[in-house]
Amino acid sequence: MSSETQQDKQVESAVEAGRQRRGGLHHLDVSATVGRPVVKLVLGVTLTFLMLPVFVTLIASFGTTWTGTLPRGFVNLENWRTVLGLAEGPGVRDGVITGLGYSAGLATAGMLVNIVVGVPIAYSLVRYDFFAKDILNTLAILPIVPGVVLAVAFLRMYPEQGGSTLGLIVGYALLKSPFMILTVQSSLQSMNLQRVEESARSLGASWTRTFLTVIVPNAKSGIVAGCIITWTLAAAEFNFTYMVHSAGPRPFSLFLYQNISRAPVLQGAAAVSVYFLIVTAVILILQTTGKAGFTTVERK
Amino acid sequence: MARDTAGGTGTESTRTGVGARLAAVRALLSPRTEAERERRRVAVMSLPYFVLAIFGAFLPLGMLARMSLSENQFRNEGFSLDAWETLATEPVYREIAWNTLWFATVTTTFSVLVAVALSHALAKYDLPFRRWIVAMVSFPIALPGIVVGFMIVVLLGRTGLLTNAVAFFTGGSRIDLATALTVGGLFLGYAFSLIPRATMVLRGTFEEINTDAEEAARALGASPLLTFYHVTLPQVWPGVVAAFVLTFRTALAIFGTVLVLPALNVATLRINLEIQDLGFNLAVASAMGLVYFVFIFGFTFAGVRLIDNESLKI
Repeated sequence: MSSETQQDKQVESAVEAGRQRRGGLHHLDVSATVGRPVVKLVLGVTLTFLMLPVFVTLIASFGTTWTGTLPRGFVNLENWRTVLGLAEGPGVRDGVITGLGYSAGLATAGMLVNIVVGVPIAYSLVRYDFFAKDILNTLAILPIVPGVVLAVAFLRMYPEQGGSTLGLIVGYALLKSPFMILTVQSSLQSMNLQRVEESARSLGASWTRTFLTVIVPNAKSGIVAGCIITWTLAAAEFNFTYMVHSAGPRPFSLFLYQNISRAPVLQGAAAVSVYFLIVTAVILILQTTGKAGFTTVERK
Repeated sequence: MARDTAGGTGTESTRTGVGARLAAVRALLSPRTEAERERRRVAVMSLPYFVLAIFGAFLPLGMLARMSLSENQFRNEGFSLDAWETLATEPVYREIAWNTLWFATVTTTFSVLVAVALSHALAKYDLPFRRWIVAMVSFPIALPGIVVGFMIVVLLGRTGLLTNAVAFFTGGSRIDLATALTVGGLFLGYAFSLIPRATMVLRGTFEEINTDAEEAARALGASPLLTFYHVTLPQVWPGVVAAFVLTFRTALAIFGTVLVLPALNVATLRINLEIQDLGFNLAVASAMGLVYFVFIFGFTFAGVRLIDNESLKI
């Protein structure tokens, strides 16, 4: 009720402000005619700014040179052959396959850790009230330590294992856990958890069994979406990886960095395009789980 | 689960000091009432998170604090305030702090303003391919900072699309026209990462607002601008604040973009420099990392007080 009266007041003040302006200033308020076109223009310019470089990169990766306004010499597969490790390229040691395979493994392990860590805490934060719940909620859903700082801390705490496979998995799981927790929370919030839980319990299921066979299957779409998002973000994690990695197989993001910073621009374009294709596939899969895009928010 | 290990040794009545604590432990290990069982469930379900957070974050951060006070760069030895003194007295660190803060503030403000326009259009207008527009706006969230830096090079670098287009029409030199490695180029790089994040936070808020009030205001003769200012904005304000808090945090943590486009000396870049190029300068890097962490932590908890938990999204 109170929010309704509040809104009535807001409407009144808008109308009142309109009346007062009916004098000289009224003619300056042209929002009725230009408001919508201007907002649409902002949307158009922003979309172009965000998507133009992506498409240009993808197209340029098939070019031979880029000395004029547009890349030329289509269709040339040499950049892709170099990136895929089928040909020798300048500035870069080997192809994408090993690095991507290694990062995919790290990301999968991090994702599994996140299922074990994220699903239960997301459930208890949505379902129960308890001491210091708000603080725990904030800690759990906001990435508290930036990747770079976490990397320095890891170098000190685990000098031997910090940059190892285990260190990278723990780092990825921690850095990306908020995305899992939020996505699962978002899908749990649409269920009447207390009723579901009480029906199952009253029919004789133990609490553990209720959680595993009733709650978790119902939250499946959120868990799947959380897995996809945390996996993708971990597979290309750079800030933490770059600082802690010292030996062993080279993760995918370091392969990208080498191509971006040391290779000719068209070869870099091909390397980056590999990741664009992955993200595009991921967004298409996410749309089947009810997410419009790469976001933790549930589709309305 | 932990029931068998309980032992149930807690004394019933002594509710003072050790007794109360023992009783709490007893209740957690072998609960007798439903409320105690519920508390145990919460504890068990938060346990995996705490194990990860303790070994992944809290212990390493403790070590970071210890390291910033070490006399030796490679081992934790003795006690020395040298690193903190360097941080407090050398002017370059004050410049870095200032650069980090003003740049994050300006880019965040710009990105949130654009995001308000974007979410307004996505929620109110009848747009074709709406889901695809959302998908495209969200696309950059998946990109690591180095790729974002590359995107700006593709647009504005020496071989960049816009650089070449401007050079073609004005006859200017491509090298003079390239702006990717200026502060302006870096600004666009930050905006490229931040606009999508701010929009995704705001999109949820805009979809929950009550459109009746807006329609009433319009029907009674208020212009769209006045309606937005007096009716829409008050309703979405919590979302705007949440978007600002979350986007500002993201802006502070950006590293890859500024590594590819090093136009401004910000904190993340400097931490990297201390470790990789100025020698293994761990004590100073640790002190910087700690200040950085404490600032972000404090900012987050101060910021979260201004918003309700519902608006926290990433």
